[in-house]
Formats: sequence, structure tokens, C-alpha cells
Amino acid sequence: MTASKTYRSPSRAYYVTGAVLLGIVILAFILSLTGIAPSPNATSAAEKLQGPSAAHLMGTDNMGRDVFARCLAASKYTLLISVTGVLIAFTAGVITGLLAGYFGGFCDRIIMLFSNSIMCFPGILLALVAVAVFGPSLFNVVIALGVVFAPTFARVARTGTIGLLSQEYIMHAKVLKVRPSRIMAVHIFPNLMPQLLPATVIGLANMTLFESGMSYLGLGVQPPDASYGKMLADAQSYMMHYPWMIIFPSLMLVCYILGLYFLSEGIRISLGGESR
Amino acid sequence: MYPCDNLGLSCYNQLTMEGLINGKAGYFGVRIVELILTLFVVSFFTFAAFSIIPGDTARVVLGPNATEAQVENYRKQTGLDKPVAERYGDWIRGAVTGDLGESVSFRKPVSELISSRLPVTLGMSAIALIMVIVISYPAAMLSSRRPGHALDHILSVFGHVIFAIPPFVLSLLMIVLFANLFGFISIGRYAAPSEDFAQFLSCMLLPSLCIALPKIAMTFKFLRASMIEERASGYVKTAKSHGLSDVRIMVRHVLPNSSVSTITVISLVLSDILGGSLIVEQVFNLPGLGRLLLRAISVRDFPLLSGMVLYLAVITVVLYFIADIAAAMIDPRQRLSERARP
Repeated sequence: MTASKTYRSPSRAYYVTGAVLLGIVILAFILSLTGIAPSPNATSAAEKLQGPSAAHLMGTDNMGRDVFARCLAASKYTLLISVTGVLIAFTAGVITGLLAGYFGGFCDRIIMLFSNSIMCFPGILLALVAVAVFGPSLFNVVIALGVVFAPTFARVARTGTIGLLSQEYIMHAKVLKVRPSRIMAVHIFPNLMPQLLPATVIGLANMTLFESGMSYLGLGVQPPDASYGKMLADAQSYMMHYPWMIIFPSLMLVCYILGLYFLSEGIRISLGGESR
Repeated sequence: MYPCDNLGLSCYNQLTMEGLINGKAGYFGVRIVELILTLFVVSFFTFAAFSIIPGDTARVVLGPNATEAQVENYRKQTGLDKPVAERYGDWIRGAVTGDLGESVSFRKPVSELISSRLPVTLGMSAIALIMVIVISYPAAMLSSRRPGHALDHILSVFGHVIFAIPPFVLSLLMIVLFANLFGFISIGRYAAPSEDFAQFLSCMLLPSLCIALPKIAMTFKFLRASMIEERASGYVKTAKSHGLSDVRIMVRHVLPNSSVSTITVISLVLSDILGGSLIVEQVFNLPGLGRLLLRAISVRDFPLLSGMVLYLAVITVVLYFIADIAAAMIDPRQRLSERARP
């Protein structure tokens, strides 16, 4: 065996591409914290609708705001909303899913009926209405998205738990009178990770899809704060002649979502799923 | 038919309610009960969401300038002065008979407003669904013929990328692309289907494509995986050794066996298509439910909002139900396993 023929995992290409794409967005996030770019909300009538140049890397928009700075600032909200939203959905979903799967019976029926009912609403509709009722603020958007995404995690956790219940080590633990809460937390939950991990990464991507859609409709991140959806909505009337206003935000958005998809694909393959 | 049909059911009996009643009729019976239960919970959620609005509903609807008498009058008119349970009963009774109350901002019945906007949203969703089926099947067949081949790779990578673009971004990019390449855009020239059906279809085409493309990529991924799996199974080898052509094996043997997973996928895609059309019609400026929804949100027209939410949810629930039943009719094995929606 020669040195050049080292083993390459089939998931490697996915990991590398995913990491590079995600890296772009995370880099943008870090840059937005350093204050390297001009203020994302500073308007300037003299500099509106300028093309990409040394002073404005990605040009300026219809209000003379620097598109580069806004792209950086928007990455902050994209990351913030998707990560906290998924955290909420994960916590709520996994706890209810574990309870439903472990105890079964009536508890299972009720929890599944509720989670099925939430899944019956087109997700974006539920999130939009929640925001409409409680008012559009960052907090409400995150909570609404968390509730909308919780049932997917509940489902994954429940199915996994039911599968694990027949395992001998769980039965042993039960025989030894280990508390159910401890069995769930110590014995079942870590073993659900192979299913929960890809679901979490996909959840991040889907939540970003939703958030950008809501921001596009004006019900997500509120102006003047920058978000990719809002930037695209602003760009719509100018996109024919000033394409940089639309190209850069969409590229950043797609980078993040595509990076997450590739990452989840890599995880899935290394956990034993076949290459699709 | 299937050996597991009898064997599996006996142990399944102890696990779930479905097993209590054996056979087809029992299965459908349980599903219908489940449907009604789900509809009830959905309607309850919808009602509850609009009953826990922070502050006084009447005050919120009428705005800060309304006098105390006006607010009192509004409460009487809409029945807000009654207890919650009674209001819920009234609302459900109205919903079943098609009376969802009156919109505050349009001063028209909610059901009339919804039905006037319905053709756009449902038409767009239907066209998108047809596109998903018509495009993803041939693509998956081509791709699964030789996994790992150049064509397979191209289709897969393309699928991945398309999958990651939100529908509204895709719409914006498409508009720019079409305008620059062909010099035409079909935005703004909407015609009602009863007036000019061809025009209606043509202005629906691009928006539908934008909703469909990410879902095509998703369906393609599922189908391709299931077809590759099927192609590796014994009956395909047998068919091959009998000298059947590749096309025949694909169409007559592989396709029917992977059709159940397709129905599952379609039922998955459905609500996303409906949700996607709500946003995309905003991009293309089409007078559908999405525009009505936004309008209702911006003026806080709660009767209209709750009516629309209920309506869309009921459509989704019923479509899920139909997909479930269809899957169970095609493949009895489906009845044995828990609902396959992930």
C-alpha cells in the first residue's frame, strides 16, 4: 500500500464542502462583531445604488447602505435565530418524545395527537400567525419557530425510544429499579444521538428557510436591522438594474443552508446510511 | 398476500389501537376517527391562539381611538361578551356550516373572501405538485439506472443545490434570469381562471416551478434511494435473468414497488407546497391567500385570520388523510406499520 492511497471516508467530501460553506457564514458573523465594515444601518443619499467597488465591496442599496456590511450583520440574526430556535425545539421535542416513547399508552396518544396537530398546519402559516398575534419581535419569532419545529424532534425521539426499549440494558436498568427519569436521561438519550444529530442540522437549515421567508414578508427581523430575507425584499424593485443587491444576500443565505445540508448528509453517511 | 399480513398483526395488536380492529374496514374506521379527532384539536388550537391575544380583543381590533360604547357594541356584535366555551361552540358550528364570521377590514363574509382567493393558491399548489411528480420520477429513474455514473452525479449535485434555495429566492432569481434571457416576465398579468384559463395557467407556471423545484430535489432524493434499493432486490435479478428489458423492469416492477414511498413523500411535500405558495405569490404579485393573509395580519383582522388558518389546516389534514388511505390501499403492509411520516 502506497502512502497516496490512504483511506478516504465517503462522507469526507460532504464534510469538507459543508464546512467551507458554513465557514463563510461564520466568518461573516465574526467579522460583524469586529466592526471591520461600516455601520450596516448608516444611510447615505450620495452613495445609493453604487456597484461593487473598493469602498463598498458588494455595492450599496437603494438607501446608500453598504451591502457588505448588511450581509455581515444579517449573518448574526440568521445564526442567532436558527440556533436558539432549534435549541428550543430540540429541548421541547426531545423531552415530550422521550416521555411519549417511554411511557407509551395514553401519554403517548395525547402527545402524538398534539404534535400531529401542530404538523397539520403548514409550518410557515403557524409561525406567521403566532407573530401576528403576539407582535413581530425577535423573541416571538424564535419562540414561534421553536414550537413549529418541536414535533419533528418529538417524532424522532419517540421512534428511537420505542426502538431502544427492547434493548437488554434498558430492561436491566428497569429491573434494577432505576428511576425512569434517569433511564431516559442517562441510558436512552445518548443513544438517540445518531438520529437526533442529522435532524438537528436539518432543523437549523429548515428554520433558516422559514426565518428568511418571514423576514421577506416583513414579519421576521424588523427593520432597520438587516436580515437576508428583508434585504431581498428591499432589493426586489431594483433587482433588474442593480443585481448586486440581490445576488450577495441570496448567496450568503444559500451558503448557510447548503452547508448545513451537506453537513447533515456527511453525518448520515458516516453513521451508516448509504450514500444518496 | 403478504406473509406478514397475519403474523405481524398479532403482535401489533398489543402495541397500538389500530390492532384492536383487524382488517381493512377497521383500519379505515380508526383512521377516520383519528381524522375527526385531529380536526377537532386543530380547530381548538386555532381558536385558542386567537383567544389568548394579549390585551382586550375588541380594543385591539378597533384601535386606540374607539370609544367605550363602540368597544361594547363590537363585543355584543361578535359575541365576545359570552363565555369562552360558548364562543368556541358557536365558532365551530359556524365553521361546519361554512360561516366563518365577517372580516373586520373588508366588511365581507370570511368564507367569501377565502373562496375568491382560493383558485390562485390551490391552482399554484396543484401545478407544483404535478411538476414534482412529472419531473422527479424520470430523473430518479435515470439516476438510479447507474448509481455513481456521471449523470447520476450531475443530477444529485444539482438536486442538493436546488434543495438549499428558498422558494422566494428562487423566484427572484428566476424573474431576473427570465427577464434578461427572454425579455418577458409573467408577473402582474393575472387573469381569473373563469375569464381566461390559458392566461391563468401561463402566469401560474413560473411561480409553481419555483415552489416545485426544491421539492422536486427532495422527492428525487427519496425516490432515487428507494429505486436503488429496489433494483438490488431479488425480483429484479429474476426479471433480468428472464431477459426483460431494462425499461420494462423499471416501469412494471421497480416503479410500483417504490410507489408507496412516493405517496409518503408527497404527503410530506404537501404542506410545504401550500406554505411556499403563500410566500411566492407575494413575489409574483398574485392575488392569492398569501396576500390576504398578510393584509389580515397587518390590520389585525382576527376573524379573517382565524378563518384562513382553520381553512388551510383543514385542507392539509384532509390531504394527509387521503395520502394515508391511498398508501394503505396500494400496499397492505403500510397498514401494519405506524404512520410513515417522519
